[in-house]
Amino acid sequence: MATLNDYLLASGLLFTVGFAGVLLRRNIIIIFMSLELMLNAANLSLVGFSRFHVRAGLPDYNAQVLVFFIITVAAAEVAVGLAVIVALYRAKQTTHIEDLNSLKF
Amino acid sequence: MSPILLELIVLTLGLALLLVESFADRLNRNTIAIIGIIGLALVFLLLQFGGFSSTAVAGYTQDKAALFFKKFALVTTIIVLIMSIDYSDTVRKFVHGITPQAGIGEFYSLPILTCAGLMWMASATDFILIFISLELVTVSFYTLVAFTRRNPSSLEAGAKYLILGALSTGFFIYGITWIYGVTQNTNLTAIAKVLPSIPASDQNGLLFGAMLVLVGLGFKVAAAPFQFWVPDVYQGAPTPITAFLSVGSKAAGFIVLLRVLEAFQSLPAVESKLSFAIVLLAAATLVYGNLAALPQTNFKRLMAYSSIGHAGYLLMAVASFGALDAGLAVVVYLAAYLLMTLLSFIVLIIVAKNSEGDDITHFNGLSKRSPFLAFSLLIAMASLAGVPLTAGFLGKFLVFKVAFESQQFLLIVVAIITVGCGFYYYLKVVRAMYWQTTTGTQTAIPVSLLSTITIGALVVLIFLFGIFPQLGAGLLS
Repeated sequence: MATLNDYLLASGLLFTVGFAGVLLRRNIIIIFMSLELMLNAANLSLVGFSRFHVRAGLPDYNAQVLVFFIITVAAAEVAVGLAVIVALYRAKQTTHIEDLNSLKF
Repeated sequence: MSPILLELIVLTLGLALLLVESFADRLNRNTIAIIGIIGLALVFLLLQFGGFSSTAVAGYTQDKAALFFKKFALVTTIIVLIMSIDYSDTVRKFVHGITPQAGIGEFYSLPILTCAGLMWMASATDFILIFISLELVTVSFYTLVAFTRRNPSSLEAGAKYLILGALSTGFFIYGITWIYGVTQNTNLTAIAKVLPSIPASDQNGLLFGAMLVLVGLGFKVAAAPFQFWVPDVYQGAPTPITAFLSVGSKAAGFIVLLRVLEAFQSLPAVESKLSFAIVLLAAATLVYGNLAALPQTNFKRLMAYSSIGHAGYLLMAVASFGALDAGLAVVVYLAAYLLMTLLSFIVLIIVAKNSEGDDITHFNGLSKRSPFLAFSLLIAMASLAGVPLTAGFLGKFLVFKVAFESQQFLLIVVAIITVGCGFYYYLKVVRAMYWQTTTGTQTAIPVSLLSTITIGALVVLIFLFGIFPQLGAGLLS
């Protein structure tokens, strides 16, 4: 039987992997995937907390509602984000962040 | 009448204007902006005189701070729309469509949707509502920053804002998760009630969550060390959107920060650590923003660093949250910041349109060409620097007063030094306008009637706030 700590550990790992991806990878699409991983880490821990906060024999559904909102917002973010990345690729023929260096003083 | 009606009206207005833009091909696009401005002004009047019930629904409050921030969002959006009309030629140049008017309508409608998000955020006291409204604002800003899509620097700014905005969302939501996990609540009022009974063993988890929320909000308000996206994004984004970002997005971050801190007041053990973190953030932000602004030559980039510096003063007021007037200091400072920042940007747009660039050298000799514009920008710069008798001075005075009352002596010393730096880089612009001679054309810059009225009103308000602080306080409450 998995305990709350197992879920939190898994979600912490997901968050760390996502954050490390944002810091270390150089391709915008991969960075974007890592960002989604961070949001899903939050989802996993929310569901974990909700499952182990039993109120009157039922899990606390507040957190699960929040999870649905996060999924929706993440989808909206992907829709806008991929559009920006596609436009960027058309203009510059690249998706590497080293090439995004025209704005410097 | 339920106060939530106002947000619904603004949201409907934004969606209706998007529909008008899709189906009315021949309509002059500036009409859309005018309808938007009139609609938002009507909502403002409704908010002022509507007599809304102040009873709080779960997760939605209608206190004085919420009312103020709603008016703040409405005024900001109205002025941004007025700026956008002046800026529409540039948008037209960088958005190629089938018709010559393609893209302009969306450029006018999206800020209205952002305004609805800002208004919701002013009232939100539940983490779910805070998160959704914050995202409504942020996602519309992703689109707006990258809007002029044939301009590579706008796209680059959009991509940078997208990645760092999404990163801050990740931190923010993970922090909410931990606060929820410890307190079993997402509602801030309920959290404040539960907090005193949290056992000491769980307080580390709570502190972890609160710190992550602080990091997420630090990105939004442009606090150092989370400020690195600001200069690039501010320089690359279309200028009206830069103004909107620097005023609207920052104010939204601060209201959420105040609400979260207010909830944590009931648990001093965690609150004291949070306050200490905010003091460190404020000191770093003040030093970084003001020192990095010194060598800037591009006006938009200068305003970006200035915006970081002002976030530092605001954080200084937030760090003194225990003091009696700290909330008032934040509110007055933000009101003054709105007036002077929007005034600078509206003059910048008019000058940049005429001289094809936004470096400080493009302002050379402006006092000879257009004395009115030069005088207005002089007032804006003086107020940003904090010269007495202007709104900026009143804001800084209140911030220093609350910091003194709560004995933040480190911050006061740092802030006095950075105010001195501020005088140097703001007066650099004044020097260019009044003491440098221009090499280009000498003709006066044409200013539309609407912009003239707006600039005049902003100048008058800056003086009004500075000379009669009582009057300003009356307008705010």
